[in-house]
Amino acid sequence: MRKTLLSTAVLSLFAGAVAADDASMQAEIDALMQKVQKLEQQQKRTNKKLSQVNAQSANDNVKFGLDFRNAVDVIDYRNNDADTYATNPSLLTSRLYLTMGAAPTEGLTFQGKLAVYSTWGSHLYVTDPALKDWAASSKASDTVMRIKEAYFVYSDELGGQPVSVSVGRRPSTNGFLANYRENENDPGSPLAHITNMEVNGAMVRLDWSRFMDGAYTKFVYGRAHSGEMQDVYGDVSGARMPYALSGGDVNTTLEDTSVDFFVMPGNAYDDGQYQVMYEWAHIFNTKGMKLDGNIPKAASGSADLFSVGLKVSGIGEEISDFLDETTLFVSGAYTHYDAKNGYTLIGSADGGVRSGSSVWAGIIIPDMLTDSGRLGFEYNHGSKYWTPMNWAEDTAIGSKLAVRGNAYEAYWNFDLFGVKYLPAQIRYTYVQHDYTPNINCAGWVAPVKTDITATDLRLAVTYRY
Amino acid sequence: MTTFGKLTTSALLGLGLLTTSLYADADKGQRLYQKKLKATCGMTGAVFAAKHTQMEWEEAKESGNLAEMMTEACPEGKSFFESDKFKSKFEEHLYDFVHDFASDSGNIPSC
Repeated sequence: MRKTLLSTAVLSLFAGAVAADDASMQAEIDALMQKVQKLEQQQKRTNKKLSQVNAQSANDNVKFGLDFRNAVDVIDYRNNDADTYATNPSLLTSRLYLTMGAAPTEGLTFQGKLAVYSTWGSHLYVTDPALKDWAASSKASDTVMRIKEAYFVYSDELGGQPVSVSVGRRPSTNGFLANYRENENDPGSPLAHITNMEVNGAMVRLDWSRFMDGAYTKFVYGRAHSGEMQDVYGDVSGARMPYALSGGDVNTTLEDTSVDFFVMPGNAYDDGQYQVMYEWAHIFNTKGMKLDGNIPKAASGSADLFSVGLKVSGIGEEISDFLDETTLFVSGAYTHYDAKNGYTLIGSADGGVRSGSSVWAGIIIPDMLTDSGRLGFEYNHGSKYWTPMNWAEDTAIGSKLAVRGNAYEAYWNFDLFGVKYLPAQIRYTYVQHDYTPNINCAGWVAPVKTDITATDLRLAVTYRY
Repeated sequence: MTTFGKLTTSALLGLGLLTTSLYADADKGQRLYQKKLKATCGMTGAVFAAKHTQMEWEEAKESGNLAEMMTEACPEGKSFFESDKFKSKFEEHLYDFVHDFASDSGNIPSC
């Protein structure tokens, strides 16, 4: 009996102790759970705050980027008819792009690019007559910072149709297919085969991708040249009417009217591997020669430029890494200049037409030496009257895409020291001009047979981030 | 070619070969998305990447749940995200792409 009572007492004590331990453990667990919940809430708040900070520091303000390229060009020209030559063993240039982007709200973005592109030791202000704002940041000159691009894009849907509108200085250089030779990842907006100019314009983009992979069309209206008008403060000797024309008419002798353009670039198909792009460009009042008095640079008619290009990114379907990383492209283009009566364009008869054509092919392959390096090879051929508007093409010897003859080019794009923020390039361009080179606006010049060879070896290193 | 040209070419050739580690490539990731997922997912790469913040993509990558998170964002791409090739060939590049264009990245796709 005594033993039983003792056992009961011990058991009771043990049970009490266990109960006390359980209660204490439960209390600790509860406390810990509270702490965990608190920490989770804090973590949520921290994450939320961090996203807000991210958005404030990146989304709600202009985000800047840098593209700073230094290059040396070794240039050589040979006029084989006249047996003359010209060389520059070291054209040293620096090009700084300060890129800007902002997206204050969904559907609205701003993109900008300020540029300085100078030769080392340049004059303070380069005022070469042929250098206009359509190539101001694409040809090395002085150290003045200029606006290369600045535009906003607003995107929405109208009755189920995705629409974007944009106004400003367009991303109109180094377009489709030219980005490889420029060692740039993304091409500009138009097809570089026919238009490579810095221009201002208004754009409407209609997306057709619900009908065809990647399809869209852009409609761009803009101005490439401001025609005759009074100065900033008007005619100081007479009525002061800035930015206008006395009597509303251009000088009847010079006929320097504004040159406007309508360009329609688009994607016909793009599935990420196969891409077909097209473009039609119509230029109003293009510059030619007025026959009465042989006045150059007069509004002489219109020009129509057409191009279609195919790009294949990756050959086959995962046959090998080499083929996956290979890019092939081919592009065809046609230019048609139509002079008004009493005028001539690129040597046409009075009121006549001049047409030219060109092909452009290229292949870009892995260099098999570096992690991400690429070797590129390109070929161009243009006919006698082939006259695209590529005057902002960044080739020191003038646009190779505009060649009236043949051009061959090889380049090696790689990352210096294997650092992706230091893209570098070695590029060799060989151009054989069979007819007068088309390297700037000169619709009043009739192409004649020539035999000029131009070469350019460019070595460039860029800091890009 | 001039002495200057030869010297600079040689120097750049030499330096170009001094490459180091293999790295992921956001541009390649963008191309991969366009080629292999855009039609399947029915949205642009920018929309896909903006489904999460940079931190969310980072966490998923670190915890080995990137494929799951991408599948949540694009259920139609499940078989792709669960494939061996995704893990061995595409994951790094696609991660770099979605991280670069995450909803709070501040990066803006070109027009």
